[in-house]
Formats: sequence, structure tokens, C-alpha cells
Amino acid sequence: MNRLIGIETEYGIVVEGLGTNDWINESIQVVQSCPVPSVGGWNYRGEDPRKDMRGFTVNQLSTNPDDAQFDSPGAPTRSRSEERSDRVLVNGARFYNDHGHPEYATPECRSLRDLVAHDKAGERVVLAAAQKHAEKSGRNVSIYKNNTDFHGASYGTHEGYLMQREVPTDTLIQSLLPFFATRQIYAGAGKVGTENESADKHVPYQISQRADFFMVEASVDTLHNRPLVNTRDEPHATPRKYRRLHVICGDANMSEYATALKVGTTSLVIRLLEAGLRPPIRLTNPIQAVKQVSRDITLKKQLECTARPAMTAIEIQWLYQQEAVKQFKGTNEETDWVLQEWESVLTALETDIPSLEDRLDWVAKYQLLNEFREAEGLKWSDAYMQSLDLAYHDVDPEQSLYYGLEQAGSMRRLVTEGRIQAAMSCPPTDTRAALRGLFVERFPKAVQSIGWNGVSFQHNGEHYLFDMNPLVEENVSVLNVEMTGAETLEAAIALIQQNPKPIE
Amino acid sequence: MSQIFRGEERRQLPTVPVEPSRKEGDGGGPGQPDVKRPDTRDLLKRMQRIDPDSARKYRQRSGQ
Repeated sequence: MNRLIGIETEYGIVVEGLGTNDWINESIQVVQSCPVPSVGGWNYRGEDPRKDMRGFTVNQLSTNPDDAQFDSPGAPTRSRSEERSDRVLVNGARFYNDHGHPEYATPECRSLRDLVAHDKAGERVVLAAAQKHAEKSGRNVSIYKNNTDFHGASYGTHEGYLMQREVPTDTLIQSLLPFFATRQIYAGAGKVGTENESADKHVPYQISQRADFFMVEASVDTLHNRPLVNTRDEPHATPRKYRRLHVICGDANMSEYATALKVGTTSLVIRLLEAGLRPPIRLTNPIQAVKQVSRDITLKKQLECTARPAMTAIEIQWLYQQEAVKQFKGTNEETDWVLQEWESVLTALETDIPSLEDRLDWVAKYQLLNEFREAEGLKWSDAYMQSLDLAYHDVDPEQSLYYGLEQAGSMRRLVTEGRIQAAMSCPPTDTRAALRGLFVERFPKAVQSIGWNGVSFQHNGEHYLFDMNPLVEENVSVLNVEMTGAETLEAAIALIQQNPKPIE
Repeated sequence: MSQIFRGEERRQLPTVPVEPSRKEGDGGGPGQPDVKRPDTRDLLKRMQRIDPDSARKYRQRSGQ
């Protein structure tokens, strides 16, 4: 996609015999059981989630007051680093505990195929860590790649897209709102029922796991009063040149195809905005629209627009797709794949939704659960149906309904299992993640901390900070290749110092 | 000056979904293996083994 892209997934966790107030401790234990070579210590340089791209910093972020019920009085207090228990993996990924969820952040990727492989590698790493923890503790551990507990608690699957800073913030927000409200028609993971006090309790099945949880159009918050467009300003790169679009409105996809299409289309929409193009549409109420789209599996309902006739979600997606075809067709093979599949999916959504059961999570899950519901004489409102929904997202191939479909040959694959296994220990070769992985593999004892944009290490009593802020373009591949020849830290330092201002 | 998408003039849609060309595995662009109607008997057994109350018991802390 010719930009750095990544996915962060907060996984759901269940440990036999324990409850929600144990999840922070259990999540830490899972992270500490990581079977992949790794080092501890995250470098937070340049990170402040309170910083808003609209030009201000909030005093504090909103939190969900319901979580207080899970804080046990007298529980041991931990430092921030103890609670996070950060691990930086040899493949350039980050694995840590985030609010009682094992979170896996893929290394920065440049191609959709790499990103899909690393997203799936994340599932395998978290599962392997959970199994190792289960062996040690003697308790079964289940891990779910979803975004809801069906009781009003949501946890995220976020995407990160490095983009040009020069796109004005208000333009970015207004241009993305119609796209984000509607891309769920192919990116949604599907959900039985609905949540939150304002929700219509008679929704049997909806397209998105997350739609019930968005309250405002744009905000820096992520834990509570969630926005459709997150305005967190953490570029993890040179701030005057770049911003990182932190997308929090997406679902956790099990389908490789849905992951690729979600990220591929979003990257192309960002590219349209970077080219100075703007969509000719504003939704009258984007927050109402995202819920309306999610609760209409016929995709026929129209969304109110400002100063133009109402449109369906599919029609809105066609606006973006057609402009992307006009601007970018023929750019490269991957772009053409996204454009073609975007068209193919939108067409099928108009003409034959069930035909997408081999590609889209929400369709695959609906078809599978509905078939079972009819065979067993169940109602959508039966508790069993949400249990089946949950089981779709189990990352254990022997338990998961998604993996049951995959094993039956009914889901499209974009990468081989061999490539996924390789991604568990090998970073992408064309991003700075390879440099992060190299330090983990060869010089773990020298490392003090590692972040997205740098490595802090010691050598011969001297402290070094390898600044990777500038290393976001494709030409980092040259340094990556050179560094593979660095058998010693002295050799690595010499190579790094040939780059402009890499070490402070 | 910003350019604006020309939205209303969407081209006529095909009435038949575009058939993807078959590609397998890791060569070239993302591949698309043949899709056959799966044997779902094992899957149905797997579904029947699921604890019907597992979602009711499933509680998580809010995340991001």
C-alpha cells in the first residue's frame, strides 16, 4: 500500500474457574508466557494518547465507570511497566497487557499480504502463550478475537495508517465519517443482538461488533464515549511530516479477505485525501448512521445526507470506490486487487449477499448460525446464539467456528499457513520493524527499551538512542539488508551512524 | 484548491457479480482458491458441543 500499516488487537480472555476481576493478572500471565523470543521494556518516546490532532491536549481520558466493579479492594498495586508487561518480539511486534486484555500489535507492514500474515501470526502467538500459561496454571485458557462481551463492554481492534500531515484535520474527519459509517458492510464481523441502554433490544443480528459503542463523531477518547474518528496525535514518525491515522471503529476480522479489504480500501481513501480530493457527501448524523447500517442486514435502508438525497451504505461506498478507480487504477498489482475486490464485493452486496459467505465475516457467521438456528429450532434471542457468536471468534483452531469453516474449505485464504508461521518470528523486510527485530534477535542484552520509533541501548557504558522516526519510507530496505550483515553491536552502530542523525 | 469527487454519475452496475480469477497461495497478488460447498457435519457437531451459556458467563473489562 506504499505506507506503513498495522493492526492492534485486544483479545478477550477466559480462564477456567476465575472471573473478570482476575483478567488483568491473567492477561499479564499470558503475556509473560510468550513463546516467541522477545525483550521487555517499551520505549514511550513521543507517545501521549491525550494529545489531540486538532491542536490541544486533554487533561485526562474518559474511562468506563462500569469497570470499577472489577477492581478488587486490596489488590496488589503494580507499576505501569509491571501492569503492561511489555514484550517486543523478534518479528517486530508488540505484545502486552492492555486493561485486562492481551494485546498484540503487528509490526509495521507495507503490503496487505504481509499485514494479513502478521495479523494471523498474532492469533497464533497469543494462543501459544495462553496454552503455555494453561500448562503452568492447570486451568483452561480461552482467547477470543472479537470486540464485545455482549454485556456492554467493548475492546478494540485498531488500525494504524501513516499518512501525510498536510491533510487538514477537519477535512480528514469530515471526509472519513461517511466512509467509516459504511465500510462495515464488508468489514463487519457480525454480532448476535445489541448492547447499551439506547439500543433497540429487538435486533436479532447486526453487521458490526462495534457499532453499538460509538457515541461521538470525533474525539481523542478510546475507552468510553468512543468516537467514530479517533483524533489521537501519535505519528510514531517525524511529526511535521506525518500523522498516524488511528482507526478505532473497525471490528476484529477472522477472515483474511475481510482484513485485507478493510485495510486496503481505507488506505486508498486516505490516498484520495492526500491527493487533495474530497467526497461530495456529508451524513446528517454519522453516529446514528453507523448504528442504522449495522442493524440493516438487507442493506436497503437509506442514510440521511446533508444537502443531497439520502443514499444507501452501498451507494456511499461506490462514491469512494469509483473515485479510487479513476485516480489509482494501474498503480500497482496490490492496488488493482483492492479496486477489483471492492467492486466485486459491492456488486455482490447489491445482488447476492449470501454469495459473500466465503469472504465476509458477518455473512459467513450469519449463514452458519442461521442454518444451525433453523435446524435446532432456536430463536435469535436464545442465549445459545450469542454463545455460537463467541465461538466463531475463538482463536483455537480446534474449537473455533471460524476455523471450522476454514478447515471445511469454505473461507478464502490470502496467505499460506507457512507464511503465517514464518511471520511469528520474521519481521517484514521492507519496514523498520526489521531493525527492531534485529535488535531483539542479536543484541537483546544491550537493549534497554524499544518503541515504534526507536531503540534505546547501551554499549561499552555509553547510552544510545537509535532514532527510527525518519525510517518510514521504502528505502529503509537498504539499511535492513546491510544490518543483516552486522554480527556485532559495533558493526550495527557503524551502519546506523551512516544514516543522518540516527543516534543521539 | 480541493477537488471534489463527482458522486452522482456512478456508472451502470453489472447485474452479475464479477467472477474472480483463480489464484492460489503466495504468488502475485492475494490469491483466491476455489471455494467448494464445505462438509459441515463436523462443524455442526462442534456447534452442538458449545456451552449454550458461555456468552452469558462471558464478562470482560472495557478496552479501547
